[in-house]
Amino acid sequence: MTPLEILVAAVSGSPAPRIPVFCNLLDQGAHELGLHQKDYFASGERVAEGQLRMRARYGYDNVWSLFYVGKEAELLGSREILFDDDGSPNVADFAIKSWDDIAKLEVPEDITAHPAWAETGRCLKILKDEVGATHPLCAYLTASSTLPALLMGMDKWMELLLTGPTDLRDELLKKCSEFYQKEAAAYRAAGANVLVYSTPFGSTSMVGKKRFQEFSLPWMRRDLAPGGVGGIVYYCGMAPFNNVIEQVMDELNIGVYYISPMADLAEAKALIGGRGLTCGVIDDIKLIHWTPEDTRAEVKRLCEIGMVGQHFLFGTGVMPLAVPEANIRAMLEAAFEYGRYA
Amino acid sequence: MLNNIIKAYNEAVFETDSEAAFSVVNQALADGITAEDIVFQVVIPAVEEMMSRITKDPDTNLAQHFMTAQIAASVTEKMLEKFQHPPEIIGRVVIGTASGDLHSLGKRIVMGCLKALMVDVTDLGVNVPAERFVDEAVAFDAQVIAVSAMMVHTATGPKGAMRVRELLRERGLEDRIRIVVGGAPYRFDEQLYKTVGADAWAADGVSAGKVIINLIREVRPS
Repeated sequence: MTPLEILVAAVSGSPAPRIPVFCNLLDQGAHELGLHQKDYFASGERVAEGQLRMRARYGYDNVWSLFYVGKEAELLGSREILFDDDGSPNVADFAIKSWDDIAKLEVPEDITAHPAWAETGRCLKILKDEVGATHPLCAYLTASSTLPALLMGMDKWMELLLTGPTDLRDELLKKCSEFYQKEAAAYRAAGANVLVYSTPFGSTSMVGKKRFQEFSLPWMRRDLAPGGVGGIVYYCGMAPFNNVIEQVMDELNIGVYYISPMADLAEAKALIGGRGLTCGVIDDIKLIHWTPEDTRAEVKRLCEIGMVGQHFLFGTGVMPLAVPEANIRAMLEAAFEYGRYA
Repeated sequence: MLNNIIKAYNEAVFETDSEAAFSVVNQALADGITAEDIVFQVVIPAVEEMMSRITKDPDTNLAQHFMTAQIAASVTEKMLEKFQHPPEIIGRVVIGTASGDLHSLGKRIVMGCLKALMVDVTDLGVNVPAERFVDEAVAFDAQVIAVSAMMVHTATGPKGAMRVRELLRERGLEDRIRIVVGGAPYRFDEQLYKTVGADAWAADGVSAGKVIINLIREVRPS
């Protein structure tokens, strides 16, 4: 079976020789090509080559079209990204500097015609041509309720959300939701088939249950309505969300859940059961200092919990550059070994 | 009457309702409660109550932490104008995000709580070079340098807290100044703060207030 077929089998619960094994090596591509990050991320060809080389080296199942999270801010007017060869780029110029800027914020009519999309489009085309028929092609999309954090900074967004005028907040959220819908359509049209829906406000670690019900859920519903939930992965930026899984399943019908390493995986798996795909995610911050033996033991533990009843995927979080290669290898070898179905 | 005020204020803070919190404070003032009592009997205990809740109840959330800090700082600032005598400052802190890091939410929560807890805090902003942390701490006579980092490379890299530690050592300041760190990477690995040379870490911005006060007391016994 191809990795794509293995993923489809995991989602449906059909027989497969093993679980899908996903890995997020984004910043590592620049090192692989011997480039500074700014040069690497300036070119879709280079990012695609980095992704293909990392996948070929380690043998995991997926490739990423994500350059860095701030790309979405660039599509909405941010003009500066802070690159650092030691880690992920940051948004350095917020598109919204004062509440007055919200009215001026423009969602591109056609995202794919925006200059900031051009290299992403090139990257996607190469990945699709090279491995799209056999491997899952991942895209990263930020939910409308979280996107303002990339546009104005999280603290300013919290301030507007919690203390600002509701009409202004909703004006911004409508634009962010429209952007999400267009972006999801653009990624799907370009061949992405795994859409990681980054929705930290979909975790009650961010807002209380009441605000989750009255704020997060309706905006997620609005984001997802036009394009549907095909290929959508519920991801809360590594925050736990076990206590809302059932409601999200019932109300949004999302089928794939990326479980925080801080959450109880067994509980999540019991909640999701055969109704969706549970992704067991390794704590890749600890992976920086673990030994390869520690790493193998943790992968084994996750597989033993998650594989019962199938519908399970092994995945990673942010995979910092500081994770030693020996641990990346140990992690992936263990995932393929312990992830086999007898 | 004070008990009812405390209860109403706490409820407003936990519901992240700043309007209701200010309404409670204004009513208390109108009823003759002093500004000093509002700060020391209502606001500071509410921050401490949130610290306690965070420990016991995993369901407290970032919105509550943010609003606890914002409301506390804002009420305190207004009440200080009405104080008969300036309150005693517990100590001084310089705070900023590590070099290369532009995430300011955690720092803002910590600052809000520190202000309410009578700690003098200087905000160095975001993307702060290690040298500046140390220079400003010396200039400000601070007992604690607080380094916030939301990303792994800014938390663990050579330009962040680790460099601050080197500078303190090189300049012979380790007895006078403590380092505290906070931010998402430290939550995933509770021993990480040691590897970057920090003296302590805090799992959230509200609890950071208590951790920082403990560090201040280590170098500036009351």
